[in-house]
Amino acid sequence: MEEVDNIILHSLRSIGCDIDEEVQSLKQFSTEVIVACTVKCLRTIVKDVDLPSSLPQGTAAKFRVGTALASNLQALGYRGDIGYQTFLYSSEVDIRKIFMFLVDKLPKETVETTEEVLGSSVLLQRNIASVLSRQLASLWVSPYIKNRGITMRGQPQTWQREGTCCMYHFHASHVIVPEGSTDLTKPTPKAIKVYHQSSLPFVTGQCLHHGDTAPSLMEANMANVTAQQEWEAEWNSAGLASRLSQQDYRSKKAQRIRKRITDQLRQDRQRSEASGETTNDLQQLLATIGGRGVGAAKTKGSRFTHTEKLLFAKDDEKALSEVQSQVPVGKTEEDIQKEREEELTKLKDELNSLTSNLEKLELEVRKFTAGSQQMEEEIANQTRANLEKEEGYKVKKRTLDLLPDAENNIAKLQAVVDSSAQRLLTLASQWEKHRAPLIDQYRSLKDTASRTESEAQRKLEEIKEFRKKLKQVQDEARGKEELSKQLRSEFERMTKEVNRSAYTKRIMEIVANIKKQKMEIDKVLIDTRTVQKEINQLSGKLDRQFTVTDELIFRDAKKDEAVKKAYRYLAALHENCELLIRTVEETGGIMREIRELEDQIMTEDGKKTLENLDKITADLQQMKGENEILLKKRKAKS
Amino acid sequence: MELSQLVLDGLILAGDAAHVNDKGFSVLVTRAFDGLIDDRHKNLIAKDPSFRGEDQAVVKEVYAALVTLVAEAAKHDLDTSSISSLLEECKFNNERIETFNKIYTAKKQLVQILLSGVGTTPRHIVDVDWRLDYYIKNNHLEKVNEAVYLVSLKTEVSESPGLKEVQFSCTQEQLQDLVGKLKDACKCLEKISQS
Repeated sequence: MEEVDNIILHSLRSIGCDIDEEVQSLKQFSTEVIVACTVKCLRTIVKDVDLPSSLPQGTAAKFRVGTALASNLQALGYRGDIGYQTFLYSSEVDIRKIFMFLVDKLPKETVETTEEVLGSSVLLQRNIASVLSRQLASLWVSPYIKNRGITMRGQPQTWQREGTCCMYHFHASHVIVPEGSTDLTKPTPKAIKVYHQSSLPFVTGQCLHHGDTAPSLMEANMANVTAQQEWEAEWNSAGLASRLSQQDYRSKKAQRIRKRITDQLRQDRQRSEASGETTNDLQQLLATIGGRGVGAAKTKGSRFTHTEKLLFAKDDEKALSEVQSQVPVGKTEEDIQKEREEELTKLKDELNSLTSNLEKLELEVRKFTAGSQQMEEEIANQTRANLEKEEGYKVKKRTLDLLPDAENNIAKLQAVVDSSAQRLLTLASQWEKHRAPLIDQYRSLKDTASRTESEAQRKLEEIKEFRKKLKQVQDEARGKEELSKQLRSEFERMTKEVNRSAYTKRIMEIVANIKKQKMEIDKVLIDTRTVQKEINQLSGKLDRQFTVTDELIFRDAKKDEAVKKAYRYLAALHENCELLIRTVEETGGIMREIRELEDQIMTEDGKKTLENLDKITADLQQMKGENEILLKKRKAKS
Repeated sequence: MELSQLVLDGLILAGDAAHVNDKGFSVLVTRAFDGLIDDRHKNLIAKDPSFRGEDQAVVKEVYAALVTLVAEAAKHDLDTSSISSLLEECKFNNERIETFNKIYTAKKQLVQILLSGVGTTPRHIVDVDWRLDYYIKNNHLEKVNEAVYLVSLKTEVSESPGLKEVQFSCTQEQLQDLVGKLKDACKCLEKISQS
């Protein structure tokens, strides 16, 4: 209860209610304080509330204020029975409930406004909004007063661009900066060094228009950064996989590109030469420029080939020199044209004859080469056949020689065959002996090679993974730094809420208390149940005992007098004990009723009904008095 | 903010006491700011006597790196803590970082004003003159009795001095239409500035 009161008092004080320092619980609230606090709360929750801040003097006014407060609370959603009496003739329980309800409604409003998403786009929006609001609030100034379109306003002076008279385009020009001037590993040629030292102007003096300096520098920087990033991306993907050093990779790449360019140029040049046009193209081009549209398709083709030919300096020079020698001086254009056409037809005829000759000759050459090939094949066949026949002849000759001494020779030949077979066997075994270790060596070398291969592969993958992780960690670190900067700025902007730790501590304590109490309640319940079980057991035992003794004695009672007396005593004992038990139970019930009645008395006391009744009667008297006064006044006026 | 390796190398040279001593460093930084901001000061560094005896290529490289750093830092609106961390990575000692930050905070607005002047804008209206004429009659009608507004908007065009005028005439309804559109534009801006 005290914690609830403390929380309520604290929140009421934080919204600005005037409560004495000594007031520690809701019991000490007087009617005026209650009304003032309720009005303050309502004003904080619902912005404009037409209620006086303190209780007015007249009793009728007091009643009206009470009913207005009650209706406002019900409008807010308070579920309970309230009317003017809850404020004017208050009871502690009701007041506590009302204030809990109001305080509950209070903080939510302030909490909601501080919870916002901290994205960088939100920060940018806020920046834009603040700058715009500042600019919208500034007054108009004549353009002649502004310093090149800029005005400085506000405290501290911040600049605003309000005029565009002195803006210029983003134009970047090439700036030269000495690179690696102290780096002794990368030598720069002496001429460039001398240039850097003596003639190269400083970077701010290099651009023609001063306004281009900043754009040029920024563009140069950005170009370098993107080149670096692209090189890193390429090196990480393709470069590492090729397992060359950086220098080798770069030189290989440059060679590849150069080769492609030369190939492409060579192809185009061959294509242009194959179409047959020679140096007359230039003349024809000049003619078409001059306005004669002779042989439009041809000149179009020649223009295309001509533009390609201009790429080759030699052809260019040749063409130029020939054109210079062939341009007729003083003749009219038509004559020149005719001469050119005649020459063209002549040369074409020559060309045709030459090409046909060439083709004929080519055909013959091909035939001859085919014939010579055939001959060569036949020669080869014949020589092979020859060799075979010679071999056969030799063998036959030897057998013929050996024939006369047939048996000896057969034995000798047999011995020779055996010995050669033996030799073969020994050679084979020796070979095996040599072969085995060599094969082992070979296998082991292969294994090591494959292992190193796989290790290199693994290491490459590890390197790639490390790089990826490095990038990730870098990105994370950057993101976390930005987040921490944002959070720090947010934190500085937010108002400090002092209560949260105190609240949380109290809540944890209350939760622990409740847990303990629950455990104790459970223990007590278990105890009660065990006691109840014991009682049941014992009463059951008692009944059984009694019936057994009863029967026993009754059986004997018919015969013996002493046993009859014993039986009568037993019955009396049983009745008395039962009476005792009953009285004990009744006492217990009566104690419980006493406790409940005591509780009821305490609650009734809290309602302070007597005091409230006194107050009501006093107010009633006051109202009656005021009514009489008003009636008298009215009578006096009328 | 990303700086290329060349600029970073130049900055490392700038922080290296073996190549650039302290006095030379502060002169370089001041001249870097001034040379970038003001047209008239762009070659003062060439005439400055503090660097007579040193390797001019080194001085030029360091100067270029500092000017690029100034431009990029002002472009990204960096505060002194980020610049300090960047300069620490380039191995500047604390005094040099202090010197740079002091001059940076003093001149940052000027550099930003310079950078804000780069760009293209359409014409910018700065002033308006207007006149109300009453159109009484013309040669076809005896009575015309209408009000005609003659409005002249004074505009600034980038890259040329002086104000160019845009003149037009309109009836009252057209003028009300125009004023309505202007008010809508104002309301739009206010909405953005409050969100």
